[in-house]
Amino acid sequence: MSKLKVAFQLNDKDVALSVDPNDTLLDVLRGQLNLTGTKKGCGKGECGACTVILDGEAVNACLIPIMKVMGRSVQTIEGIGDEKNLHPLQEAFIDKGAIQCGYCTPGMIMSSKALLDKTKSPTQSEIREAIAGNICRCTGYVKIEEAVQAAAEKMRDS
Amino acid sequence: MKEYQVVGKSVRRLDALEKATGMGTFTTDLALPGMLYAKVLRSPHAHARIVKIDTGRAEQLPGVEAVACFKNTTRVKFNHSATMTFTVPPMEAVLDECIYDDVVRYVGDEVAAVAAVSERIAEEALALIDVEYELLPAVFDPVKAMEPDAPDIHIKKAGCFLCGKNIPGEKIHLALGNVEEGFKESDVIIEETFYLPVQKQAQLETQAALATVSNNGDITVWSTTQTPHPTRQILSHIFQIPQSKIRVLNPPYIGGGFGVRIGLSAKAEPIAVDLAMKTKKPVKIVYDRKEDFTSTDTRHSGIVTVKLGAKKDGTFQALQLKGLLNTGAYCSFGAETIGVLGAMGLSVYRAPHMLYTGNSVYTNITPAGAFRGFGNPQAMFAIETVVDMMAERLGMDAKELRLKNIIKPGDPWILPYSCQSTGLAECIEKGAKEIGWERRGTLNKPGDTLRRGIGMAVGTHVSDAWPFCGDFSNAYVTIQADGSVHVASGVPDMGTGTRTTLGQFAAEVIGVGMEHVSVTIADTQSTPFDIGSHASRTCYVAGQAVMKAATEARGYALAYAANMLNEPLEDLTILDAVVFCRGDRKLTLAEVARHAHLHNEQFIGVGKVIPQNAPPWLAHFAEVEVDTETGQVRLLKMVAAHDVGKAINPVIVEGQLQGGVVQGMGYALSEEVIFDREGRSQHDAYHKYMLLTAEDMPEIKAIIVEAEDPTGPCGAKGVGETGQVATAPAIASAIYDAVGVRMKQLPMTEERVFQALQELQKR
Repeated sequence: MSKLKVAFQLNDKDVALSVDPNDTLLDVLRGQLNLTGTKKGCGKGECGACTVILDGEAVNACLIPIMKVMGRSVQTIEGIGDEKNLHPLQEAFIDKGAIQCGYCTPGMIMSSKALLDKTKSPTQSEIREAIAGNICRCTGYVKIEEAVQAAAEKMRDS
Repeated sequence: MKEYQVVGKSVRRLDALEKATGMGTFTTDLALPGMLYAKVLRSPHAHARIVKIDTGRAEQLPGVEAVACFKNTTRVKFNHSATMTFTVPPMEAVLDECIYDDVVRYVGDEVAAVAAVSERIAEEALALIDVEYELLPAVFDPVKAMEPDAPDIHIKKAGCFLCGKNIPGEKIHLALGNVEEGFKESDVIIEETFYLPVQKQAQLETQAALATVSNNGDITVWSTTQTPHPTRQILSHIFQIPQSKIRVLNPPYIGGGFGVRIGLSAKAEPIAVDLAMKTKKPVKIVYDRKEDFTSTDTRHSGIVTVKLGAKKDGTFQALQLKGLLNTGAYCSFGAETIGVLGAMGLSVYRAPHMLYTGNSVYTNITPAGAFRGFGNPQAMFAIETVVDMMAERLGMDAKELRLKNIIKPGDPWILPYSCQSTGLAECIEKGAKEIGWERRGTLNKPGDTLRRGIGMAVGTHVSDAWPFCGDFSNAYVTIQADGSVHVASGVPDMGTGTRTTLGQFAAEVIGVGMEHVSVTIADTQSTPFDIGSHASRTCYVAGQAVMKAATEARGYALAYAANMLNEPLEDLTILDAVVFCRGDRKLTLAEVARHAHLHNEQFIGVGKVIPQNAPPWLAHFAEVEVDTETGQVRLLKMVAAHDVGKAINPVIVEGQLQGGVVQGMGYALSEEVIFDREGRSQHDAYHKYMLLTAEDMPEIKAIIVEAEDPTGPCGAKGVGETGQVATAPAIASAIYDAVGVRMKQLPMTEERVFQALQELQKR
């Protein structure tokens, strides 16, 4: 398969790549760019582990053909905070014990971020709806929901 | 109660930062230069002989570097479960599988594998392998599989592993008193049979391994295993290579486990190692989600019968339990799970007469193995439902009947270790208060179609694997040249917080804060032997080993410091990484360690533990709403009150309980893998397998009760599995309270509840 050029914004930086047009955004993030923070759990849009934010919306990167990303803006877990400057959601997930195996965590945080970017004071059902497509098999969601609430509160206060 | 500095505190998990920022490394994330990708060709048939297999066309495909099948691959028989590395003579291990065989025994069984330069090419090559099958008769029903004319799934050979028609391992027989006498002495006897489904772990990271073979024959395997040391033993056996030539490790994170990779990660490790040997290149295999559903261990489905006899005053006289588990095409943990089912089932209540008989049976479905609870959820759904029925028959409150009959320390019981602690009565009382037990039976008006109910169930579990298999642990603790503390333990952290908890023990014993502690886990090369993360044992057993090692290392440091200070040893103590003496004489631990280093000494402690065992206890309460027009059950509230002994890290403990409860809710209401008449799984994807999501969550309240056990590290007991044990029967009990139907089959889907309601109306 011949390669095609694709250019988009990734974590606020411009990237231009030569890609296999059959690849998904997830293939390119993990395989070509070594951004393995975005996890692969099913490859079929069923588990949410690969959730990234595309032009402000939480999407499953495994369902996005890479050419559809042309000219758009992608945000991944690597782009929202690091150890010196954690995003309030990352901090809340750590502090509330919302992380166990950690495989769903990046996707869960990105789905929650897409919500909090738009909704400053989400209700319980809005939080649950936002992460309903993210499967967590470890926590039972209790501490995740608490973490999202805590992060929302912190983001409102700052 | 003893005051601790680090133990008992919800310190931040050591893995949380890396995981929250996407920097944590999992096996699926790994890549090495020149790495090949493996894909597996799987059987479309439930039982067939491979008459012909031609891999020529696949080998010709550009990018393909090797194709493996039974013809060119070792056929040493093994068992992918870790416990079968620990079968103590005269018992014999059930070794009934090889990487690829010339007979396939379930839909999804391994036929061949390809290593290629990309996953896509490997996948393409699979379609070019020509296989001719001769179909063999298949059997899926565990009862039919034991009938004389059923097809033989495995042939009995030397290394006798069949003890009856299609029965692997042994038939379990546990007895206390004389159960026939007990039933004669009983005023009321209830006997019921229950049907349990196949449940899937559905952990987020699928099975995966990356193997390299160096030109001097050293093999390194990064994988998702929960048990690196036993996995190395299994690989050593399969490839007939000394263990010293093999290193197995986690990278270090695992995306969940729940039992699905105790031993090999299905066949990920041997497939990767074999292809790496064939190609002399690193080979990575990642199961896709469908493979993870169809071709990795499940929870055992089965049939459990309970017969309970009681006096009029509610005293239990006799309890008889019969278990039959469908272990699928290969034994895996079939021989142990059936034992745990009986042993746990008979260890909750006091009765002078008890009997358990049970066995597993082969059929042509996906192998069943270990899954959180390990036979115990199957037992307790049956037993607790019958106890509930007994309470009703006797006209007693179901909570009072339980309080009257639960095991107390010192009671005779079926297990070879003694019960030295129980907080079960406290769990029951606290849980009942939280759910509002006194409201039971008063929540509905006649004619209501949305009916509420409250139910409860209790149980116990283990804190390690003994006596179901051997169990021991070792640890190294080093006070390094800068005064920091390093812990090395062979147990993985599959998300349960092992690494953090073990660090807390070392910090507590030595007298330093967590910022001074680092923990290496799950690596056969840099950690001493341990049987791995399962059986709720990491905190209880590996914790003891770490405490012993830390005590020894601390002793060396103190002796050295006493010498430095020229003070008597007994006057020295360590607090906050400072060695204190009488008056104001002190040295930092770093100063002591540095001085020792410059004088050629390091403080290394070794901890070795052969553990006892200890029972954690649990009481679950559920409040539900049942729609009588549709049969739909909505959970309103779950309460899980657990006696975990000392909670080493309460937030981690709560997380274990909440997660276990939610898996139990799925087991109760929606999770089930069904096989069609050809043995094909109907639930081989997340969108087909009905996991509960965030939107299905009721209020979940975890209550920690701390009846410390004298055998546990700081009094701790196992907590990893308890959340799963009695969730389904508590929900079943609540459904009965709501609508008056006794559900005897899981999951209690709306169809089944609706049907039961229809039958109730007909009566």
